[in-house]
This record gives sequence, C-alpha cells and structure tokens, in this order.
Amino acid sequence: MIRRILALVKKEFLHLKGDWWLPAFMLFGGALELLAIGWATSRPITNLPLMIWDMDRTAASRNLVISLENTGVFALTEPAKSMETIENLMDRGEINAAVIIPHGFSNEIETIGGHPVLQVILNGAESIPAREALRAVKGVVRSLDEKITIDRLGIDPDLFKGFDFSLRVWFNEALNEAYYTTPAELALMLEFTILIFAALTFSREREFGTLEQLLVMPFSSIEIIIGKSIPVILVGMFDFTLMLGVVHFAFNVPIRGSGLLLFGLAFMYTLVELGKGMAISVFSKSQHQAFLLVFMVGMIDFLFTGYAAPVESMPKIIQYLAYFVPAHHWLNIMRGITLKGSTILDILPNILFLLVLGLVIGFFSLRYIRKALD
Amino acid sequence: MSFRHLWAVIRKELQHILRDRGTFILVLVTPTLVLLLMTYSLAVKIQHVPIALLDYDQSATSREFIHQITAGDDLDLYQNAVSMSEIEDLLIKGKIKAAIIIGPKFSEDLLAMRGLSLQIIIDGTEPETGGFAVDHIGWRAEAFANDILADQILVNGISLDSLEPIDLRIRSWYNPSLEPRVDIVPGLLSIVLGFPAFSVALTLAREHEHSTMEQLLATPVRRIELLLGKMIPYILAGLVNVIVIPVIAMAWFNVPFNGNFLEFLLLSAIFLFAELSMGMVIGVFMKSQSAALALSFLVVLFPGFFLTGIFFPIASLPEMARMESMFLPGTHYAIITRGVFLPGIGIDALWPYAIMLIVLGLAFTGIAALFFKKKLA
Amino acid sequence: MEKEFIKITDLTRKFKDNVALDSINLTIQEGELFGLVGPDGAGKTTLLRTLAGLLRITGGEVREAGCELHKNSESIKPKIGYMAQEFSLYGKLSVLENLQFFGEMYDVSPSLQKERIPGLLAFAQLTEFTDRRAAKLSGGMKKKLALACTLLHQPPILLLDEPTTGVDPVSRREFWNILNDLHLQGTTIIVSTPYMDEADRCSQVGLIYQGKIVECDSPENIRQKVGGEFIKVVTHDWQKAREIIQPLKGVLEVQTYGEALHILVDSANKRIGQIQKSLHKAKLDILEIRVIKPRMEEAFISLIRKIDQTK
Repeated sequence: MIRRILALVKKEFLHLKGDWWLPAFMLFGGALELLAIGWATSRPITNLPLMIWDMDRTAASRNLVISLENTGVFALTEPAKSMETIENLMDRGEINAAVIIPHGFSNEIETIGGHPVLQVILNGAESIPAREALRAVKGVVRSLDEKITIDRLGIDPDLFKGFDFSLRVWFNEALNEAYYTTPAELALMLEFTILIFAALTFSREREFGTLEQLLVMPFSSIEIIIGKSIPVILVGMFDFTLMLGVVHFAFNVPIRGSGLLLFGLAFMYTLVELGKGMAISVFSKSQHQAFLLVFMVGMIDFLFTGYAAPVESMPKIIQYLAYFVPAHHWLNIMRGITLKGSTILDILPNILFLLVLGLVIGFFSLRYIRKALD
Repeated sequence: MSFRHLWAVIRKELQHILRDRGTFILVLVTPTLVLLLMTYSLAVKIQHVPIALLDYDQSATSREFIHQITAGDDLDLYQNAVSMSEIEDLLIKGKIKAAIIIGPKFSEDLLAMRGLSLQIIIDGTEPETGGFAVDHIGWRAEAFANDILADQILVNGISLDSLEPIDLRIRSWYNPSLEPRVDIVPGLLSIVLGFPAFSVALTLAREHEHSTMEQLLATPVRRIELLLGKMIPYILAGLVNVIVIPVIAMAWFNVPFNGNFLEFLLLSAIFLFAELSMGMVIGVFMKSQSAALALSFLVVLFPGFFLTGIFFPIASLPEMARMESMFLPGTHYAIITRGVFLPGIGIDALWPYAIMLIVLGLAFTGIAALFFKKKLA
Repeated sequence: MEKEFIKITDLTRKFKDNVALDSINLTIQEGELFGLVGPDGAGKTTLLRTLAGLLRITGGEVREAGCELHKNSESIKPKIGYMAQEFSLYGKLSVLENLQFFGEMYDVSPSLQKERIPGLLAFAQLTEFTDRRAAKLSGGMKKKLALACTLLHQPPILLLDEPTTGVDPVSRREFWNILNDLHLQGTTIIVSTPYMDEADRCSQVGLIYQGKIVECDSPENIRQKVGGEFIKVVTHDWQKAREIIQPLKGVLEVQTYGEALHILVDSANKRIGQIQKSLHKAKLDILEIRVIKPRMEEAFISLIRKIDQTK
C-alpha cells in the first residue's frame, strides 16, 4: 500500500512539473507577497498632508506649528490663505486635516482666563488617517494646555506630571507595527496557499479528464486521498517555514515560545485546511469554480480571524461563529507563540478547538470524498 | 478596425457571460458579496475591548473610577483580578487586551493632588486595540481626575476651566462620526471591481484551454478587435455593479452619495477600461485559466487591497510602494469614489485622475495588443 | 487553373528539440483534392496550421493563392476555411449562433448569411438542431458543424485536419460525399487523415513521415510504386506462419492484419507455391491464400519500412 501511495505522490509531483507556475506560486508566492505587503503595511501612519491657516502669525502660533510638525505624523503643505483653498483640497482628498489658528490666539494665551481657540478640520473621507491625525493634534493641544496652565498659575509642574499614568506595553515594547500585521498576514497566506493547492488536486484531474482513469486503477480511495495529501502537506509546511523565516528575519518578529510547538501546530493546522480544501475540490466542477470557492471561504474566514479588527468589536453572533473557524484559533496560536511566548497550557483552548474542528472537518470531508470517489 | 468583427466578439462574450454560471457569478454576484463580507470584517469600529482591573486601593474613589471606566461600550470589564499573576495569565491567554492596575494609595494621592497612581498594561500584539485602550482609558482617567478635583482646585483659586484653556473645535467633514464604513465602502468598490478584471484574464486563457483559440485565430479577425471585443462586455458587467453597489451602500450601510451619478458612471467606465486592460495583459501571457487566476490574485487583488490607499494611507507607504500604487488603476479610482460619494465632487475636480486612468488603460491595452500574437507558436 | 496554386519550398519548423517539418517541398494545384497521410506525429497538423497562417514560418517559403505566407500570414486568412483537429467551436453557443459568429468573422454580410445558412444546415443535416448548444451535439454532428462553419464564406481553399477521426462510418461516408461535391465545384481541399482508405478518394496524396514528404503522387501511382505483389494468407496461427514465411526467399515484407498476413513478394507467381509448401510442412492449415492488389495501407507501410531500414 505504501508503494502505491508513493507512486501517486511521485505522479503528483511530475504533473506539477508541467504546470511549473503552480508550485512556484504555492511555494514562493506566499512568502513574496508577505514580504512585499508586510513591508508596505508595517509602518506607522506618517506624512499625512496637513494644511495650516495661521491667521495669528505670532511666536506662539509658529511654535504650535512646529509642535505639530514634530509629532512625525504630518507633512505640512503650503500654508493656507483662505477657507476656499482648504475646502478645495479637502474635497479632492489632497489633505487629511487642516488646522486654523485664529487671529488673537497668542493674546488669549497671555491673558489670564483667556481661552485661545483652535480649529481642526478632519477629512472624514479617510477615517483611518483622520483618527490618527486627531490623536496627534489632541496630544499637541494637551501639552500646550499644560504649559499654559503652568505659566499662568505658577503651579508646580510636577503636579501635572502626576496626572500621567505609567504605561507598559507587553509583547511589543517598541510598538513595532510589523508585530501586529505580519503574523496575521502569514496566517492568512498560509490558509490561502493550502486551500488553493488542496482545492486544485481533484478539480484539475476532473477538468483534464484524468480523474476517471485514476478511479479505474487499483487504488483504494484512502490511498488516493493520502497520495494527494502528501504533496499539499509538504508544500504547506515548506511555505510556512519560508514565511516564518521572512517574518522573523525580515521583520524581526521574535519567536518567544517553543518553535517545536509552533511547527507541530502548524502541521495540525495544515491538515485541517487540507481537509477543507479537498472537500471543496471534490465539490467543484472545474478549477475555476474551485478557485472561486476557495476565495469565498478564505474571505469568510478572514472575517473571523480578527485581522483588521478584534472579534470582540463585532456583533455577538459573529463572535460565537468565530469559534468554529480554524483560522481564528490558528491566529491566536501564532500570535501567542511568537509574541507572547505562550506555552501549551496558555493556548490550550485554541489547540483543543483546532483539534476538534479538525476532526469534524476531516471526518466529513473524508466521508464526502470517499463517497464521491467510489 | 471592423466594427462587425468587434460586435461579433462582443456578442459572443455576452452570450457566454449569461450562459456560463461560473462566469456569471464571478462577474455579477461576487463583487457585491465580497463587498459585504469585507465591510463587515474590515470596516469595524473598535468597541467592547475586554480589560481587567487590579484594585489595590479598594476605596470608594477607586470603585467610582472603575465604574466610570467601564461605563461605555468601548471598554468592557472582563474580570476584577486579585493578583498580578492573574493579570499576566489573562493577557497571555488573550482574554483581555489591557489591564489597569490601581495603586494602593490611589485615592489618597489623587485627593492630595499628588497625581494618578495608575499603571496601564496593554497587549501589543493586536493592531489598534492597544492604542485604543490607552486613549480611552487616558481620557476617562483625566475626566475622572478633573471631576474629583473640581472642588479642590476651586479652593486653590483655580477654576476647572483653567485646566484646559484651549478651546479645541473639532469638525470632521463628510463623515462626522468618523464611521469607518462610510469611507471604506466607496473604496471597496475599486477592489471588488477587480473581479471583472479576473474574468477578462480568464477569457483568453479559456479559449486556449478549450481549443477555440485555434479556430478563432484562423479567421481574419484583428488583435485589437479581439481584445476590445472581449473587454467591452466585462466593462458593461462592471457597470452593472457600479449601479448596484452604491444602492446597497446607501440603503444598507447608510453611506451618503453626494455626487452626480451620471458623471460617476462615466468615471467608472474609464476605470473599468483601465482595470480590465490590466486583466487583459495577464490573460495574454497566461495560457491556462488557473495560471491566469493565480496571477490575477497576486497582481490585481492583493496589491489592490494593500496599495490603493483604502486601508493604508498612501502617504505613509514607503517611496517604492507609493510609486507602484500609481500604476494601479484602483488607486486613482479609490480617490474618485471617495470624492464622488462623500464631498460630492465631480469631473471638474477629478479629471486629473480620469486622465491617469485613460493613460493606464491605453498603456495596458497597448501592451496586450503587442504581445498577443495571432499565432499558435 | 493556376498550376502552382500552393507552392511550399523548403519549409522547416522546429519545436524545442524536435523537427516537426523537415525541409518540405510541395506543390498543390488549384482544384485538387489533396490527401495528407501519415502516422501520428508525422507533421500533418503542423503543416496544415502553417498553411492556415497559424504558425510562424521560421524556415522556407510558402506561396498560397497569391499570398506569401512567410512575409505576411494574415493575408491568407480570408481565403481559407480551416477545421482544427480538436473540436474548437463554442460549446455554449447554439449551432446557428456558431455559424453566425464565424460568418461575421469572415465578413459574410447578414443577407448572404441568411441566404447560405439554411442550405449549409441542410447539407450538414443539422437543420433540426439549429438551436441546440454545440456542446450537446454528437461527435459526428460537431464535425459537420465545424465543416459548415468553414464553408459559409465560400473560401477557395479548405484545410481540414483529420475531419473524420472519431466519427462513425456512416457519417464518415457522408462527410466524404460532401467533400467530393466541393471538389467538383472547384474548391482546393487539403485533408489530413490517418485513414488510408480515405486517401484513395483523393486526387493527389502526400505521404508524410517524420516531418518529410516521402511520396507525393496520385493514389494509383503510389500503390504501384510498392515494387512487388501482395499475397494474402490466412491461417489459425499467424505468428507461427509469419515466422515461417519471413525468411523465405523473395519475401520482401510481411504485414499483419488481424489474423491475416499480407506478404510482399517480388513475384507472386514465383513465390506463392513456395509459401504454400512451407506452411504445409509446418502442419499449418491454410484457410485462404490469394494474390491481392496493394491498397494504400500496404503501400504506405511498405514505404515507411523502407525508410526505416535505410536509417
């Protein structure tokens, strides 16, 4: 039986040689995309075009402008001369925010009991940068508030120091953006790679008409399934290793937990997605359809992994459903082991869920596939 | 160029789209489905962030503080911890995203105006929740402190007013509540219209796979007739989406549409021309459908997602990525859609982007025509 | 009638490391029904595709109906009706829609299409299937549809790549009747076929083997070029019979056809007795033994064998 399985595996790899792009895509596509996208996205938000209309033109207002620049979030544009300019540029999306310093700003600062006015207009058409811009502006305003109050009232500056709290960031002390994004992107890429590859296994044969031939040969359906699974598993694990390398070496994301555990769980996850992929593959009538289904499933899973937004922020129903998505648990495992140094006990619930899901998916897939093959 | 040939190819493609279930779904159903999915999974407002509290003070003040912190929807109290190791455990297990540790002398220090004895620990592994927690806890803490101290401060001759002298007036144009959906949904339009682009890449590959390419190439049809004839039906299909999706956006997601719809249709058609001709280039080089799809994913979908400025502002991208994004039709169209939906501007302001799209479209079509040989080998 | 309607000079075409066409020289006259015969992989499809302008000409020259394909292969396309070996019509389109599509592509005006299509459908016996999707036709009907699509614009040249392969014998006969009619109407037809009996129905036959034209002549002449006569022998054990007959003097070649042996001898009169005697000696019953006229098949196999022997 092993010999027959090996023969099948060999055939799969030979087949792939013909369509060389498929293994190339599988093996390197994920890693390359990860590299490219990780590089482009693990950056803090900076260089947001900010337009300032300084109607005061005093030392104080100029200091304010410098403080805004120093936040590192903005790239100052030409100073504004009129509201119309601001409106035009904002409409066209060329600036993310505008700050208007009215005439008399400096005076109000000097006057005891005075309230200097500052206007900030955010471009709500890009809400993500807008929030960041608001945060930066608020920070500058807060510092200025403190300074003014201290100057006016001669209060001991330490009083205000006390109103700060101490902040500790765990797992990602440097607030490295790559820590947020790259493990999640890896999880996503891995899922897609395995699903696509697994989904193509049967649908390609069906499309080329060789599936019938396979079925009349003396292979038992189990042998066929194992024979087709092995290349996918190999490719999946190789891809994972490559991508982990990229994440670790190119983006400096640490692997604080047990590497062995990580690989072991990656293997388990590969099997789970393999099961899903194969079921899709038997179900699709053409490669085209298989791809589409993979994409749909992948996107749906993506929703539940909490990549872009935490699952807690979503409606309760979705939160419950998330427990049934293997990728959700896999992401927790990934983040846990790499960044938090989690041990088995820490991520036990995730592992258990993955295991159970895997068994259920595997069971149904196998039954389905065997029925379809027999 | 013979219009008769062009029309024959267009008609054949249209017949195919209508009769082939897979293509039909890909082109007319998938964009909307994916839009819905992406909106629900990505344009999410952060809320209900689970936190834990470790109260070493256990005073009336600290309890009041805890009450205030957890009052809204933004932060949820997951657990009242009793030890540091419990907090560690919760953080590692991912059950909480942030923890507040209230020092033993919290109320004492606060009332004596010695400061806030608080420590905030955040989980740095998730995008934004950490920062969100810090911001919101910070704001609440400050407000709380100011409240408590209002009387005290007055006694010292300072009014609460004076603690925050600057009157910061914030206005958010086009999207007053900075609701992510409002700006992301128009942007998503440029991503989901990539599906017709896939289909275009597929259509050439499909002719190869089904051998019809041979028969087709034997006829006097010219390359440009073939390429345009295959593109136009998908542009039309794309336009159907351009009509349906804004309706959904407005009705379901309450996204405002303030611009001129006819102008928008025109701009969308130009975008589709550019995007689909990009798909055409892929189709010319790939002889099998799966190869065409795979390449489309890599070159159209993923960059479309990350580099077009919808989720990651282009200004913040590294220089090279920024240049790359200029070559993606999606980037320019995202600016157009945002502009048309929210501020409601029109062609008079957006024409530079339309020109860019036309240029890209012509360039891609040119490349496709150049490399598409009317030969089997 | 133009003498050299299609003139191919030193046409060579390589694919990666195999030479598909090896310096082909061929002349076809206008109005001929030319049969291109050869085993799989001999180069038939490559040659037809080249004549259809589908392959770039990398060596040699092709002059076809006044066009110089080596300079501009697009020019020939309006003058040709090409039928590919694999079914290459649009499965999702109906019979009528396929015809209309190709009509448009060949610039046949709608009024002319209206005029010609009913006739074509009739003679391809597809009238009742006008609205059926092409994918749902039987193998024979598909081929007839493909043929109809090549005829709509009434081209002077037809290039048909194995048009009857995979088609039932009745449809095959009908197909050839159609081809004969077209031949009589003056169309120049080049047909490739693996069926030797079809080669007999052509006015000229070109035998192609390993990229070279081995023989190009009328069917009768080719049959006569065999250089010998054939004796047919049927026994109960053809393998044993072959062993016995092969080494005999004057036996040039032994071909097997099922249970029968077709033996090429230098002179039938001289050798037939000897063969009978040898078989009797080995206690083999002779069920049938007579002289037969060489068919294309025998001629072809014989010629191929000679080439292989000289290598």
